Amino acid sequence: MVVSFKRLACATALAGLALTTVAAAADIKIGIVAPMTGQLASEGQDMENAVKMAIEAANAKGGANGDKVITITADDACDPQQAVTAGSKLVSEGVTAIVGGYCSGAVLPTLKIYGDAGIPFVIIGANSTKLVAANQGNAFLANSTGDMQATTAVELFKKNGFKKIAVIDEGDAYSSDLAKLTAEAFMGAGGEIATKETTNAGEQDYSAVVTKIKSSGADAVFWTAYHAGGALLTKQLRQAGFQGGIVLGDGNNSPEYLEIAGSAGEGVYLLSPPTVDLLSGAGDFKGKYKETYGRDAGAYAALSYDVGDLIVDAIARAKSADQKAIIEALKASDFKGLAGEIKFTDKNTLQTSNFRPVIAKGGKWVAVE
Amino acid sequence: MTLDLVIQQLVNGLIVGSFYALIALGYSMVFGVIKLLNFAHGDIYMNGAFVGLVVFSFVGIWVGNGWLGVVCALLVSMLAVGLLGVVIERFAYRPMRNAPRLSILITALGASMVLNGTALALTGGKHYAFNTDLGFAGVDISTVHITYTQMVLVAASISLMAGMQAFVSRTMYGKAMRAVSIDMGASRLMGIDVDRVIALTFFMGSALAAGGGVMAGAYYGSVHFFMGFIMGLKAFTAAVIGGIGSVPGAMLGGLLLGLLEAFGSSLPFVGSEWRDVFVFGTLILFLVFKPTGILGRSVVERV
Repeated sequence: MVVSFKRLACATALAGLALTTVAAAADIKIGIVAPMTGQLASEGQDMENAVKMAIEAANAKGGANGDKVITITADDACDPQQAVTAGSKLVSEGVTAIVGGYCSGAVLPTLKIYGDAGIPFVIIGANSTKLVAANQGNAFLANSTGDMQATTAVELFKKNGFKKIAVIDEGDAYSSDLAKLTAEAFMGAGGEIATKETTNAGEQDYSAVVTKIKSSGADAVFWTAYHAGGALLTKQLRQAGFQGGIVLGDGNNSPEYLEIAGSAGEGVYLLSPPTVDLLSGAGDFKGKYKETYGRDAGAYAALSYDVGDLIVDAIARAKSADQKAIIEALKASDFKGLAGEIKFTDKNTLQTSNFRPVIAKGGKWVAVE
Repeated sequence: MTLDLVIQQLVNGLIVGSFYALIALGYSMVFGVIKLLNFAHGDIYMNGAFVGLVVFSFVGIWVGNGWLGVVCALLVSMLAVGLLGVVIERFAYRPMRNAPRLSILITALGASMVLNGTALALTGGKHYAFNTDLGFAGVDISTVHITYTQMVLVAASISLMAGMQAFVSRTMYGKAMRAVSIDMGASRLMGIDVDRVIALTFFMGSALAAGGGVMAGAYYGSVHFFMGFIMGLKAFTAAVIGGIGSVPGAMLGGLLLGLLEAFGSSLPFVGSEWRDVFVFGTLILFLVFKPTGILGRSVVERV
């Protein structure tokens, strides 16, 4: 009772703060919804920064159809309840389009709100297949979905000769979805699932799971959740003497993973989204980002920048701020950004997977050939 | 369950349990003295970890990232965060001491949010690496690997707790503390400087939480602004199980809770996601059937 009150009060106060930007009448308002507080605040900050950077660049070139584009950030804290509040506020602010969304669990309940309001919504990070099913036609997934990642994961297991995999998730929509899809795909490909476990988010101690993994006889571990837990799990697995392979889902692509895991992270595989370090054309962006915001561009910064660009591009192609026209323009996107091309299928998902396996070597992610 | 698994879970349970116990002690002491559930206590633990990390990075330049650095970080953090606890008591809780219980409880939530929000603003929500050179060396008991770090950690927290118990039961200040917890008004009439005793209680409780924070940071290798949240809740649970207000109760509660988690989640057909269900389910059972906990005394309400 006391606890839920604490979280709620905190959440409302912050959501209120985040929405105090005031807009002039003729500007085109773009809502950014991202976790600005909570465990994934760092990723949310990256998303906001990169989208703003793209939109400022577009404004410098005259905005969309000659109108200035402004952004309004709403904090979903990666929490479904708060996401609904944040989403409703963006809708009542009268935004033309919305970009963002990092945690699938928080994005899922907002799809109906944006769908009913007919607002074009480009999802940057969240990529659970549940989002595809719940989409009312106005939402677009700019990141590859979980099933594409599961395929990449199974290919990686087979290539490394892993036969018994322990699949560990954090119980949220995103990581449990990826865990389930990967387990099914791997069993379908003749592999064996040694154990399937769920950990509690925000935990520091993974000893119970580590003990289960060790006693299950798994020859590799697949962690489908985020970097904070991933780094701790990696460290504790190695500390307990686990010798097998460790494979991480795309939520672990953060410089913080390597910092925290330290030497225990060596040789760990990651299914990476298109990060700036792996993209040949993103050098300028990386420098400029660091210069503007005084921090390194995180995993989804490049993709966030692309989505910021894409939405302005779609408004320009729609030749108006009419939301139906923008949705049609997004459907017809043929966009080449920093992170690769964005073309949508008839389900509004990406046509080509943007995952690539990388391995940690000498404290850096390097591409696996 | 094989013998290896039992030993492994025993080790797991003892380590987590030591952290719970250290933090539960502060909860319990403060509750004992001013009947306040100090919800900021989990955040104190988090602050301790951050102060420890700063000190560790700083002294690391001279003494390296080994044991000496960790010990320096531990001592400085305990002192600094202990003082922070005193400051919080002075400015947030003391003016509220005669206010209704609900008001001071809400003040505690406010203090928790201030600490948490400040940490978020200062750290930007980032997870900071606390990289030590302690390594994974240790002894092997059949398939169970126990590192030296783990042994030192359990030993250190047990000695801290034993020191605290000795302080409370053997020294004059400890006696004053116990007196204030029984009857604040009468203690004041007997010439005990109640404000000072309460400040001391906050200092010691916060220092222990900070010690736990530094040890957890160094052991798990990561520090972030939200780490105190679940820890605070579980330490509270440990304090209730052991008997809130009782020093040995907090230690017992912490260790029991750690073991309960470890063995509970290793039961057949029970996934590790049930761990928190065990913890908070136990809390509910205790609150319903034995709210005074294992070692707590029942309080007679005098009207």
